[in-house]
Amino acid sequence: MHAFHIEYHNTQGTLMRILTAVSRRGLEVPYVHSAASGRVHRADLLLEVNAKQIGQLCRDWHAIVDVTDVRVSTPTPEMLELIAFAGPHPPSSAASDGRSSAAMA
Amino acid sequence: MLKGAEIFLKCLRAEGVELVFGYPGGAIMPLYDALEGSGIRHILTRHEQGAVFAAEGHARATGQVGVAIATSGPGATNLVTGIADAKMDSVPLVCITGQVRSALIGTDAFQETDVFGLTLSLTKWSRLVKSIEEIPSAIAEGFHWAREGRPGPVVIDIPTDFLKAKAEFSGAAKFTPKPRPSDAKAEAKFADELIALLSKAQRPVALIGAGAKLSGAIDELRRLLDDLNIPAFATVHGLGAVDPDAPYYLGMVGMHGTRAANMALHETDLLLVFGARLDDRVTGDPTRFAPNARIVHFEIDPAQLDRVRQCELPIIGDLAQTIPAFHKRVGAAKLPNWAEWRAIACGEDRAELDPRGLAQSTIRFLDELFGRLPGNSVVIADVGQHQMWAAQRYRSASPRGFITSGGLGSMGFALPAAVGVQLSKPDATVLCVSGDGGFQMNIQELATVRRLNLPIKMVIVDNKYLGMVRQWQQLFYQRNYAETDLSDNPDFVEIAKAYRISAERLNEDAMEEFPVSQETGDKLERFLRSTEPELLVFDCAPEANVYPMVPAGAALSEMLFEEE
Repeated sequence: MHAFHIEYHNTQGTLMRILTAVSRRGLEVPYVHSAASGRVHRADLLLEVNAKQIGQLCRDWHAIVDVTDVRVSTPTPEMLELIAFAGPHPPSSAASDGRSSAAMA
Repeated sequence: MLKGAEIFLKCLRAEGVELVFGYPGGAIMPLYDALEGSGIRHILTRHEQGAVFAAEGHARATGQVGVAIATSGPGATNLVTGIADAKMDSVPLVCITGQVRSALIGTDAFQETDVFGLTLSLTKWSRLVKSIEEIPSAIAEGFHWAREGRPGPVVIDIPTDFLKAKAEFSGAAKFTPKPRPSDAKAEAKFADELIALLSKAQRPVALIGAGAKLSGAIDELRRLLDDLNIPAFATVHGLGAVDPDAPYYLGMVGMHGTRAANMALHETDLLLVFGARLDDRVTGDPTRFAPNARIVHFEIDPAQLDRVRQCELPIIGDLAQTIPAFHKRVGAAKLPNWAEWRAIACGEDRAELDPRGLAQSTIRFLDELFGRLPGNSVVIADVGQHQMWAAQRYRSASPRGFITSGGLGSMGFALPAAVGVQLSKPDATVLCVSGDGGFQMNIQELATVRRLNLPIKMVIVDNKYLGMVRQWQQLFYQRNYAETDLSDNPDFVEIAKAYRISAERLNEDAMEEFPVSQETGDKLERFLRSTEPELLVFDCAPEANVYPMVPAGAALSEMLFEEE
C-alpha cells in the first residue's frame, strides 16, 4: 500500500481528473481525503499499486493542468487504521444480510 | 453591451479562429444567431462527428487549433469519439457545446447531458461556463491548453442563457499559466549522458513519432539524423518527418511496419525515441520489445515515459529545444563508425519484397495513384487495411502530408477530415482513401463536399468486408468471418451520383498489366486532376491481407509475410 499526496489548484474537474487517473486503471481507492492546504488543495490517496503503476500515476497526475505537486510516501498509521475500520466495499448483492434475497424469493 | 454569443465569437476571433465546423441545435442556437458578420466561417457538416473530424483535419493539416461546435445532449455526445481521437493523437482541438439553461442543469432537462463529466478523462482541460463574465477567460484558457505542450482537446460547455444574456465587453482575455515545476534536465547533463551512451553503442537506431513533427523541429531532426547516420524509422504518425529517400531511412515500424525497420528495432542496443509514446502497435510484445536496447526518450509529455519499458535516459522538454541542444554536442563528439551496422540494417537482404498475393493489385493501384500525386498533396487514410497499405506505400516528404487516425483508430475519420484539410489547403491535391466499411460511417459528409464543391479525390478500397477484422479472423480465428461480410454493400457510384458527385469504378483487373494500360493511366490522371469532387471505387480482392504483420503479442522480429 502506498500513500499519494497530490497538490492542486481546486479548479473545475481537477479532483475528478486525479481520480479518473486511478479508476481508468481499475484500481480500488480504499482511502481518499481532500481539503484546502494553504493556497492549494491537497488530495491524499491510499492505493495498492506496483512500481510501474506508481510511475504511470505520478506522470499522469503531473500532466493534469492544475496539479502542482505529486509525492509518494508510506501510509500513516491513522490512514491504515481508517481502512481497517471501514473494510473493503463489497458489491451490494454480496453485502446483503439476506433480506433482499428473501424479498426476491 | 453585447450578447454572450457575440462576446464568445469575438473571443474566438481574438484567438485567430476563422473557420469552425458544427451542427446547430436548441441550446447552441444563440451562437448561430450571432455568426453572421462575426468574421468566422462556419461549415455545416451533416453530423457532429463529421464536424469534429473535420476540425481535426484542419488542425492536423495546419497545426492551428481546430474548432467544432455542437448543441447539448446528443450533439455533444456525438463529439465524443472525435475528442478521444484528438487526445490520442495530440491534436489541438476546442469543442464548444451548448448546454441547457443554467437553472435547469442537473434536472435531466430536455437534451441535457453532463458533457463536462463524460469528457473529463478525454480532455486536457474543460470548463462549464458559469456566468457570462467568464466567457473571455474560459476561451483564452481553453485555447492556451489546447496548444500548449503536448496539444490536445478542450471542451467549453456554455449554458444557453449566458449566450443570450448581455454584458459589457472590454476585450478578449489573456491567459497566463501559473508556473509549474520543470522536470527538464540541465542541457549539458543530458547531452553528456547521451553522448556517453552513443559512444558505447554498436547498433543505435532512431524512432521518430508524431512529437517530432508537432514540435516543428523537422529541419533540426533531419540535420541531426544526417550527421548521426544511423538507421531510422517512423511510427504511422511520424511518417513524413524523415526524408523518405534518406539512405538510412527504413520506413514505418510496428505491426505492419517494414521488415527492415522491425528487425533493426529488435536488434538495436541503443534506441533513440523522438516524440513517440511507444504504444502496443509499435512495440509488439512489450516484454520482448527491443530486448537488448537502452532507451533514450525525447518527449515533451512526462506522462508518456516508461509506459511499456523503462527508459535509461528521459529527456523531457520541447524537441525544438532538446534536439538542437543535443545536435550541438554531436559534432564535437568522437562517435563510433556504425557503417557495418548500417550495412546490415539498411542492406539489400532486408529490402521490402515485391507486392504479391491477393493484395498485389491494390498495392499497385495505390502505387499508381501516389506516383501521380503532385508534391503538395495530402493523403488522408481512414482506418483498416487500406490505411496500412497507404502508410506503407505513400512516401511523403512533408510532415503534414499523411493524415490518419492512429491512436484511437476511428473508422469514418477520413472523409470529414478531408473536408477540413481541403478547406485549409485549397490548392493542395487532397486524396482521401477509405475502406467500404469506414466510408459508410460518415458517408453523409458527401453532402458537405458537394455543397462546398471541394475537389477532394475520394477512393474507396472496396473488398466487401471489414477487411482488417476479417484478416484477423482468417489468421487467428480459424476463418470464422463473424459479421464482417459486407457483400451487400450499396452501389457507391450510384450513391455518389445521388449527391451529384462524379464517380467511377475500377476493377482490380486493370492492375494486372504493369505498368498500367494507357486507358487506366488516363483514368487515374483525370481523376486526380479534376477540379471537382470525384469518387473512385476500387474493387479489391476480398481476401487480400496486409503484410508484413506482427501478430498481437508477438515480438517485432516475428513477422508474418505473404506466402508465395
